[in-house]
Amino acid sequence: MKNRRTAQRSFPLMLATTLLIPGVQRAHADDLQAMMQDDKQWVMPAKDYANTRFSGLKQINASNAGQLRVAWSFSVGSNHGQEAAPIVIGDTMYVVGAYPNELFALDATTGDLKWKYSPRVDPSSQGEACCDVVNRGEVYDNGKIFYNTLDDHTVAVDAKTGKEVWATKLGEITRGMTLTMAPIVVKGRILVGNSGGEMGIRGWVTAVDENTGKIAWRAFNVGPDKDVLIGPRFHPYYKSAQGKDLGVTTWPAGRWQTGGAPVWGWLSYDPQTNLVFYGTGNPGPWNSNLREGDNKWTTTIFARDADTGEAIWADQLNPHDLYDYDEINENLLLDLPINGQTRHVLVHPGRDGFMFVIDRQTGQIYSADKYDTQTSMSSFDIKTGRPQMVAALTPLLGKNITGICPASPGAKDWQPVAWSPITHLLYIPHQHLCMDYKTGDVGYIAGTPYVGATVNMYAGPGGYRGEFAAWDLTKRKKVWAIHENFPVWTGTVATAGNIAAYGTLDRWFKVVDARDGKLLYKFHGPSGFIGQPITYQGKDGNQYIAILSGAGGWVGALANAEIDPRVRNGALGYTGAVNDLPAFTSGGSSLLVFALPSDKADARP
Amino acid sequence: MDSFHRTVAIIAAAIVIVVAAALALIVMPGSSPKAPRHLANGYSGVIPAGALLRVPVTGIYPGGTPAGLNPNMQNPLANDPDAAQRGMKDFDAFNCSGCHAANAGGGMGPSLSDDRWIYRSSPANIYLTIVQGRSAGMPAFGAMLPDRTVWELVAYIQSISQKPGKDFGDTTSLSPPSPGYEQVPAGQIRTATPWKYTEPMPANGAKPGG
Repeated sequence: MKNRRTAQRSFPLMLATTLLIPGVQRAHADDLQAMMQDDKQWVMPAKDYANTRFSGLKQINASNAGQLRVAWSFSVGSNHGQEAAPIVIGDTMYVVGAYPNELFALDATTGDLKWKYSPRVDPSSQGEACCDVVNRGEVYDNGKIFYNTLDDHTVAVDAKTGKEVWATKLGEITRGMTLTMAPIVVKGRILVGNSGGEMGIRGWVTAVDENTGKIAWRAFNVGPDKDVLIGPRFHPYYKSAQGKDLGVTTWPAGRWQTGGAPVWGWLSYDPQTNLVFYGTGNPGPWNSNLREGDNKWTTTIFARDADTGEAIWADQLNPHDLYDYDEINENLLLDLPINGQTRHVLVHPGRDGFMFVIDRQTGQIYSADKYDTQTSMSSFDIKTGRPQMVAALTPLLGKNITGICPASPGAKDWQPVAWSPITHLLYIPHQHLCMDYKTGDVGYIAGTPYVGATVNMYAGPGGYRGEFAAWDLTKRKKVWAIHENFPVWTGTVATAGNIAAYGTLDRWFKVVDARDGKLLYKFHGPSGFIGQPITYQGKDGNQYIAILSGAGGWVGALANAEIDPRVRNGALGYTGAVNDLPAFTSGGSSLLVFALPSDKADARP
Repeated sequence: MDSFHRTVAIIAAAIVIVVAAALALIVMPGSSPKAPRHLANGYSGVIPAGALLRVPVTGIYPGGTPAGLNPNMQNPLANDPDAAQRGMKDFDAFNCSGCHAANAGGGMGPSLSDDRWIYRSSPANIYLTIVQGRSAGMPAFGAMLPDRTVWELVAYIQSISQKPGKDFGDTTSLSPPSPGYEQVPAGQIRTATPWKYTEPMPANGAKPGG
């Protein structure tokens, strides 16, 4: 392992603290799980360890949401794609902007700026990020805010003062690695995953001590078992995941070293079993002709022991991925009735277009149902744990293969769903795109893309490009859906007021009735939305909904960067599918915070 | 030979050629700038580093004159009709197309297809951007690419760049849709002159060509 903590600016201070107060590293003043249950706050982007993004607040509800208006707004000052979720701790909101990743602390009720923290992020890192220079958020524990910077630092900042506590460098941009995901905190450790699936990186999850910034463990997702932390406790459900050193033997000789499997999405945690769950990204390169074999453990859901990182089970959803179907999407931990019995399941809305319901203790897949147009896989075999591929759409070197659905961003990308225990529905913001795909030769050069595919995306059948859908996990079907002109690239939130909120790239922030999808409120924002809405209660007793505006990301880079709308293959093939986007929005950087007018809010139920 | 090793072989071969070329020139200081006969395809020689040091990356000259600077230095391969075609292959082999996209529509790196330039547009400006890299993310390829390969890339980039219209500025609107035309996708036609192959831009992200 190279480059353990090469930057540690405040080491002497920390050492002193440790010496003065022995045992302080073990102390946890905050009960993070209790804070997650407190709907006045929002302590992590996914709201809770189960990744529900559900709030029990109901002051804003289906009968009054039409009265919403902007209470205050704030600019994070960087017109790149804004994918971060703000978080709220007590009376303070924290929000991180896209590169250069400044962190802001604001009064959550008034919007007053308390402080900002400006890291010295290497500008060169912008050239190593595949899909705009985004950041997906920050997280809180024990008086500190933790987040990642594009140039591979994880930082800890004092939540009260904004002073840096530590900054640890976890990787090298010159090897194509960046950090864009929002970490989670489990038992005093920050769990971080890396980005760079298009750059031939070697994916990992790293646990960093929240007090010292020291690495506790690192689990690679490709390579020999000892690096992947596969040992005697590893009991995968499916045969194809059983065997020694599959992270080496399912690749042509040595190719695992540039094999990808990054972790730029979401982690969830089950305190009952002490397991963390996450999905890994695509194999490198995209050109599948160069990597015969299953390419383990790319596009895989891992269950790991939270204390040691040891692998417990793994399901590889897209063995030998052909189309860049990362499976970094979120995993919701729910207890659902399956065949008359309550099961502890993991719900994974797959990038490949299947809604997976998986036993989170064993990895057994209970069901995998298509939730959007799917032409590249005819079905998913839950007995073998493998998809049935459509042979006619297999990439051949140098041949332009047409009509592949979903396109590379999948039926759903990183943008997280929400689950309401009241409606028992899952709310899915997602895209509806197909593509032409042509593979070509590519050689690995560290620090440059390792892709080897020319992609041309376009709207899926029916002519729309995105959808906000409600899915019944028990009946295994779509209950209602709202078609959107552009891919829906925001996260969503659902509440006990029976509302769900999301945003669109053509600048609409929308609140809909969670029961039937009826539009209750919309607001034309300053720039397209790709952020994550959250909700909380201010010190004035009012409920607020907050979301960042700022078009960008893979889907919207055309709106904020120097990209030519006349060349369809730009932005890894996304340009053609959204080439009219610049007629709707430019880049932006505004946080918008909504509430009911105070006379309406005072009459809350 | 797989593509990875093929690329390594291409790089190695290119380095051998250029080292030989450089040696040939180094041993002839002060001789004619004409290329030795064995350097085929019109490569007319290495530009002295001192001349490149005086290529400005700005349009502002204190005192109002660029005297003593070289704002208009030409590509030594300017008269080589095949240079752009070779540059297109280089553009893939060195993963330029990974960042700038096929036909350089842009993505991780800015577009090079549209005649908008951050670090200016002269052949020497493009050469220097490739060799030195740029601080916002462009890698410095000077340690990897032979001088001649860089000029081939410059020739290719000059060949694929095109101003959308005659106007000083571009208009973007939904109705009428603009720019209203687009290149035939690179998956269908790959050429060093992609602007010779255009078609109407379909509305609402629809599949091109109906």
